[in-house]
Formats: sequence, structure tokens, C-alpha cells
Amino acid sequence: MATLATDRTSTQPASTFAFILKKAALSALVALGLFLLMIGIRTEAGPSGQLIYWTRFGELAAIVAAVFVGSIVVELLRQWSGRIGIAATPAPWVGSALAKIGKLLAPALLIFALLVPVIFYNQRYLLDLGILVLTYVMLGWGLNIVVGLAGLLDLGYVAFYAVGAYSYALLAQSGLPLPYLTGSYPFVAVDFLQLGPWAFWVLLPVSGLLAALWGVLLGFPVLRLRGDYLAIVTLAFGEIIRLVILNWQSLTGGPNGISGIPRPTVFGIPLTPGPDGLAAMLGVPFSPTHRLVFLFYLILALALLTNWVAIRLRRLPIGRAWEAMREDEVACRALGINITTTKLSAFALGAMFGGFAGAFFATRQGFISPESFTFQESALVLAIVVLGGMGSQLGVALAALTMIGGFELFRGLDQYRMLVFGAVMVLLMIWRPRGLVGHRAPSVFLHHRTTIAADMVKEGRG
Amino acid sequence: MSTITTPLLAIRGLRAAYGKIEALKGVDLDIQPGEIVALIGANGAGKSTLMMSIFGRPRARAGHITFDGRDITGLATHEIARLRIAQSPEGRRIFPRMTVAENLQMGADATPGSDAVRAASLERVLTLFPRLQERLTQRGGTLSGGEQQMLAIGRALMSRPRLLLLDEPSLGLAPLITRQIFNAIRTLNREDGLTVLIVEQNANHALRLAHRGYVMVNGLITMAGAGLELLQRPEIRAAYLEGGRRV
Repeated sequence: MATLATDRTSTQPASTFAFILKKAALSALVALGLFLLMIGIRTEAGPSGQLIYWTRFGELAAIVAAVFVGSIVVELLRQWSGRIGIAATPAPWVGSALAKIGKLLAPALLIFALLVPVIFYNQRYLLDLGILVLTYVMLGWGLNIVVGLAGLLDLGYVAFYAVGAYSYALLAQSGLPLPYLTGSYPFVAVDFLQLGPWAFWVLLPVSGLLAALWGVLLGFPVLRLRGDYLAIVTLAFGEIIRLVILNWQSLTGGPNGISGIPRPTVFGIPLTPGPDGLAAMLGVPFSPTHRLVFLFYLILALALLTNWVAIRLRRLPIGRAWEAMREDEVACRALGINITTTKLSAFALGAMFGGFAGAFFATRQGFISPESFTFQESALVLAIVVLGGMGSQLGVALAALTMIGGFELFRGLDQYRMLVFGAVMVLLMIWRPRGLVGHRAPSVFLHHRTTIAADMVKEGRG
Repeated sequence: MSTITTPLLAIRGLRAAYGKIEALKGVDLDIQPGEIVALIGANGAGKSTLMMSIFGRPRARAGHITFDGRDITGLATHEIARLRIAQSPEGRRIFPRMTVAENLQMGADATPGSDAVRAASLERVLTLFPRLQERLTQRGGTLSGGEQQMLAIGRALMSRPRLLLLDEPSLGLAPLITRQIFNAIRTLNREDGLTVLIVEQNANHALRLAHRGYVMVNGLITMAGAGLELLQRPEIRAAYLEGGRRV
């Protein structure tokens, strides 16, 4: 801490008033360039169809002035609250306190989640929102394996979500293809096994596996890429998948999407008003809310599965290898870690959970189209992971809750919603650059080993 | 160390290059089981390149590297490491956000071994470097330079290596810490029979520690001999001891 303190005093004179002014002027200049055409000139179709335009230099000047003043304010605030570098290293007690709160918060959140359908049974809107939040929690946890643990910046995660959704939708319509050998050319024929009410349960793992396969396919070309380059390729990959879906009309229905996707069943028992539905079997009156409650618990279970797998793997050599790879790939190799399999496994596993979430999304909506799988979704999930604190399971859940919940909360703000969120994200990243829960919990082996080691020292000394 | 045994590591005519710049121009080097060999030379002589080449990167353009009678020239880095050749790389390269205990565990993860064996290697590391014992739950990045070097060596030892490669372990360390680390290496060699190749700019320290030494200049081995004998040679003193001080 002593070094930090000296650091702070030594940087103070460097950021003088002239520096602030220069920075503000630069920001204003950038704003001028950006908004000159966007704000300064307005075009519209005139009465006879020709293009008319008029200038709005007053507004332009106002915006540039606002940026100038705002930049000064931000810089002053920054100096007042200390440098970012200092904020990045919180005192140890902050971490341990957070860990303690986390220990209580996580079970509390889980119990709350389990009770949501009971408490809000009559509020369909809230149940729907809960399902949406949990979907993003699951996506966040899935992406967290790739980005948070393995440190591979993936901007195309939505591709696996799409692969999962389309795998489920298409296979549910056609039936599960089962190839078998025949005696005559071409020696292989395919039977389509109709799954009926079991469609979701059979196809859920299939969708996950197909998504994992695509994860490996993406992984191979990007094995040697890192950081910015990896981000660009994954971004392109996400777009390729979406564009293929959009343009392969004969298979995917293109922009029209796929409708009539089978709804999930309670292990074969449909949630319908008919005599063979769950309600009739239990002898209770049918209500459409039953399906919502079921979907809620289904996505909760899937999300918890994702969480459980991620937590378990972190304690195993493969999870440790992911984290070590994030820190230093070269050192990993020298320690005998096979980077190829380590990377591919992270991609595959992250993609698999994305695929599960996609299959769930398809069965929940009953209709999917490429519009649901735009880059914005990838960005949203990545934002959840980064805001939550990369690698922290609790942080990701909290971030998903605040982001998706916040989106709904501020629905009244209409188009300003995005503006508010942008501002909140910028502020959060300035003050908590490691995310909401930036504290990295050591994997459990540590505790275990420490006790062993302590025993040994006693032995050695005695 | 002139006993007639097969060398643990034998390098013959090794050439390696970064693009068009040839860093190793035909290097011959032998390490017998149980000895400490020092490789000294000026900056840019190719010492680190040689060490990395043993690990397959940069790949050898010509020549052979044999470890325990097996040609390892074309193997991938992680396969070479799994033969239980360990290294404490230049710049230490510990995992800064992981704890000391996790760093050590990473060293043991890739080589097979029972829990008891791992516990034994951990005990060995912690008795050699008691400082690490105090720091087990601390993040690697928060250690001092000397502690990080101890951690890097400890991590390498966790795989119970048959050959340990050390790249500039004294770089940037206080003399007292350097002495501690060199003492630990001597102990490992005497008590555990560990074979060590140590790359150093600190010729004085390294040659006093080593049984034998090699001097590298411009990608070639120019001199070889017993450590103390090399240390007495006037040209070595001029180039790496007195001369080194003047620069």
C-alpha cells in the first residue's frame, strides 16, 4: 500500500488544469466530428419527394459544449476519487467482506428464486420476467466459462444460443434422424424417429451437443488468436451463423423463422387443458400459469446445472488450467498443459450451455427467427459477464438481474433507456473496473492443501 | 564429472532462428545426470533461446536434442514438459491472480502422480522455501520479486522434474535473496540428486555453484570446463566479471 500512496502523490502534479483543458478540447473535437452530420444537418423527404435539408448548428454547438464541460467534470471527479489504478486494487478487507456477504447472499438469492413462482403466482408478467432474467443468468454463466475463467474474449456467443434454438426447432419438426446401414447403395439410410411429447427432453442434450460441436469448430481456427483478434473472429462467427440462418430459407425459413415449435412437457405429460394433461392428472383445474411456473423451474434448474458444473470444474485440473491459461499461456505450456485441448474444452463447454439455453428459448417462445440472435444479444451477455466481475458466479447472476430487470424497470423511459444504461455501465467500469464482485475466490483445493501442508510442517519440525 | 555415463540431456548441432535472424548456430551441450551445469554469456548471446529451444519453441532448424536417450527435437512444448523437464522461465511467469497454493498445484497438474506423491513434493518445496508456506493463500502477483522467483522454482519442482532449467533466477534480486535461491538449488542437487541447467548473466555466482560451465557467444558455445576452472580463466574474468562491472 505504501507504493500506491506514493504513486498517488506523484501523479497529482502531472494532471494539471492545462491537461484537463486539453483533454476536454480533444473530446469536444471528437464530438464535433461525430455529430456534425448526425445532428448538424437534418435531411428529410420534401413534399414532392425530393431531399430537403436544413442545418441545426445551434444544437450542434450545445452538444459540443456539453461534451466539453462534461469532460472537465469527469476529469475533476476522477482526480477527486483517486486514480483508476488505485480503485482497481481494493483493500484486502473489502474482498473478504464481499466474500462473506456473498456467502449469505447467494443462498438467499437461491431461496428467493425458488419461491418466486409461489409469491408471484398471479402475476404472469413477473413470472415471464423471471424466466427472462434466469435465461440471461444461464447465458452469463455459460459465457463466464469462456470469458471469465479461460479468458477468451468471445463476442459471438449468441451463435451457440442460435444453434441450440434452431437445432431443437428443426429436429423437433423432422424427428430425430437415426442413420442405419443398408445392403444396397448408398448403404446408409436415415430414419426419423418421431419423439412426440418427449421431444424437448431428448433434444435438449442433442442441441447442447450440437452447439458444443460448433464451439469446437470455432475453436480450431482461433487457437492461436488472443485478445482483440479473437474478439473480431468470434464477432464474425456470430454474424456468419445468423446470416446463414437468415439466408438458408429452405431449411430455416429465413426471416420468417420457425413457428409451432413443440412446447415442453413435464417428462412426457403435456401441460394442456385436455384429459391427458398434467392438470387433469393431478385433478386440479387447468391454468395457463402452470406452464409458466414449469418453465420457470426448468430454466432455474438449467441455470443451476450450469453453475454447478462451472464451480465443480474450477476445482479440477481442467478448470485450474483454464484460469492459468487466462493468466499466462506460455507458462502453461511449459508446465505440460495442452493448450489446444484446454482451449477447445472451454469453447465447447461454454457453447454447450449456450445451446441448452437456446433450446429452452425455442420451446418457451414456440417461435424463433434470426432477429432474436443479433450481435446485441452477444453484447448484452458479455456486458453481464464483465459487469458481474469476470469469473464470479454470484456477480454474473447479480448483473443479469440488474441489467434485465433494469431494462424492464426503465421501460417507461423509452428511448432514453439505453442512454441511462450506457451511463451506468461507464460509471460502474470507472469505479469498479473488476465488476460488481471482483473478488476472485480461490478454488477450494487451497484450503484443503493448506491444512495438509500445515500438518507436514509440524511433522518436519517435530 | 568425467564419468562415462550417458548424458541426461544431449544437444548436438542445434540451430534455431527467429525469422531470418539465427540465434543458435550449431550448439553442442551435454548434461550428465546429477550435475549442475551453468550457461553463461552476454545479453543476446542466445542463452535463453537455447533454453526455450529445449522446450520446442523456437523449433530447431537443425540438430538434435536427446533427453534420456529419446529424441525430443520435434515434440510439442507440453509433451516435453510431461517428460518431467521443468523450467523456471525468464521473467518467472507465475500466475498473478492465482494463489501461491494454486500456482504450486498447477506445476503438479500435468504430470501423473498420487496425492501422497504430490503432498511430498509440496512438503519439499515448502521446506526449501519456508517463505512460500507463509504466503500460500496470497495471490501470486502480490509477492515480492524474490518470493516470485521461489514460487517459480517451487512450481517447477512440483512436477518432480528429472531436469530443472533455470533462466536467470538472480535477475533483479537482492544479493541476499540470490544467495538463498542458489543455496536451495545446491541443496536440491546434493540431497535429491536433481540435475540442473542454469542460465545466468551473474557468471561469478553461477560458476561457483555449477560443476561445469559453458560460455556462449553469438549463438555458439565458445568455452566449456569445470565451473571453478572457468572462473579462473583471464578471458572469462575480463569479459564477464571485471568487464561486466564496468558496463
